[in-house]
Amino acid sequence: MTEDFRHQLTTELPYLRRFARALCGDSALADDLVQDCVERALSRTHLYDPARPLRAWLFAILRNIFISGLRKNAKLQVVKTVDDLHDGEDAVRPDQETNLSLALITQALDQLPAQQREILVLISLEEMSYREAAEIVGVPIGTVMSRLSRARTHLQQMLEERGTPVLRRVK
Amino acid sequence: MMMNGLEHWAINAYADGELDPVERANVERMLANDPEARKVLEGIERQKAALNRAYGGTLDEPLPHSLANTVRGGGTRHLGPYAAMAASIAMLLLGGLTGWYVAHETGSTLIADTGRRAINAHEVYAVEVKHPVEVQASDSEHLKKWLGKRIGTDIIIPDLASAGYTFIGGRLLAAEDRPAGQLMYEDATKQRLTIFLAANPGHGEETIRVSEKDKLVSCYWAEHDLAMAITGEMPTDAMMKLAENIYDQIEAAEKG
Repeated sequence: MTEDFRHQLTTELPYLRRFARALCGDSALADDLVQDCVERALSRTHLYDPARPLRAWLFAILRNIFISGLRKNAKLQVVKTVDDLHDGEDAVRPDQETNLSLALITQALDQLPAQQREILVLISLEEMSYREAAEIVGVPIGTVMSRLSRARTHLQQMLEERGTPVLRRVK
Repeated sequence: MMMNGLEHWAINAYADGELDPVERANVERMLANDPEARKVLEGIERQKAALNRAYGGTLDEPLPHSLANTVRGGGTRHLGPYAAMAASIAMLLLGGLTGWYVAHETGSTLIADTGRRAINAHEVYAVEVKHPVEVQASDSEHLKKWLGKRIGTDIIIPDLASAGYTFIGGRLLAAEDRPAGQLMYEDATKQRLTIFLAANPGHGEETIRVSEKDKLVSCYWAEHDLAMAITGEMPTDAMMKLAENIYDQIEAAEKG
C-alpha cells in the first residue's frame, strides 16, 4: 500500500460521497456505502490499474456494493421511496424556491428506475464519459445512451408535471 | 413529439461533449432549425444545473471521521487522545489571543501579530490527520474563490513544488473578528507547511519578518490588502527563501 495511493484516495472521497448520495438519495446510507467502498478498495489495490482513472474504478466498486444491497432490500426500498415523496411535498414552502427545486429534483430522481438513475447521475452530475459510465455499469455504450435518453426524458416529464401543480397549490 | 430516438440521442451526446466536430456541426444545424430540439437541450442543461445544486454541496462538507481514518490506515496513525487534547488547548489559546488582539487592534499591530496567529493556526491544524483541510486541493479553483470572497480580496494558491511541497487544500479560519484562510502543503515525508492569509485593512506594505515558537518558524509580510505568513518546521534561512518565492509568485500574478 503506497502512501501515494492513500493520498489519491483521500482526494476522491468528496466525489465518492456526492456520487453515493445522488445514487441512493440518503446521506447516512451514502456514507456507509463510501465507507464500505473505501475498505474494499484498500483491500484490492492490487486490482487497480494506475493507467486508468481512480475515480471510475472507485465508482464501479461503490456502485456494485449499492446494487447488491438494493437486491437484498428490494421491497423496503419501494416503501421508503413512497413515504419520502409525501413528506417532501408537504414540506414545500412557497418562499423557498431553491429548496423547492431541490426537493423536486431529488423526488424525481427517486422515481427513476435504478438503471436509469445510475447512468443519469454518472453522466449529468459526475461528468463521466459514456465509455467510463459503460465500464462502471458493465453494459455497452449503446445501452448507456438509450438509458440516458430515457432517464432524461422521464425526468423532464416529471419535473414539468410535478413542478407546476406544486407551485400552484402553494400560491 | 416529432423527435425520433436517434435525434434525441444526438442532442444528449452533444450536451455531454461526446461528439466530434462534424457531428457537432450537424446537431447545431438541427438546433438552429428545430425549436423542439432546442427545448430538449435546455431541459438537459437545466437538469444538470439542478443536480449540481442538489448534490454539489457534498463536495465541500467535512468528511466523517471514520472515513478519513479508514483511508489513513485504519486508526494506526490517527490523532491520539493526548494530541487531540493538545489541539483543543491550542484552539482555546487561539481564541484567547483573538480577544487580546481585538482589544489592542491598531493599524500597526495587525501585521505584527500575523506571524503569531499563523503559528497558532499551524499548530492546531498541521497535526490534524483526519481533517487537515476543509476543501481538498482537487477543488482549488473553488477554494480560491471562496476564501478570496470571505477574506475580501483575491488570493492565489502559490506553487511550492520547487521546494518539494504539494498543495493539499485549505480552510477558512476565524482570526479575531474576521475571516482568514489557511493553505496547507505537504512534502513526501508528510512534513507540512501552511500559508496564512488575512485581510490587511491598513493596506500598508511590510517587508518579510520572522516569528518563531519552539521549532516552528513563520515568515510574514503584508502587501496591499493582504497579510500573509508561511509557517512550518524549517530553518529560518530556508523559510525566508520560500517566503520570497511566494512573494514573487504573487507579484507575477498581479502583473499577469
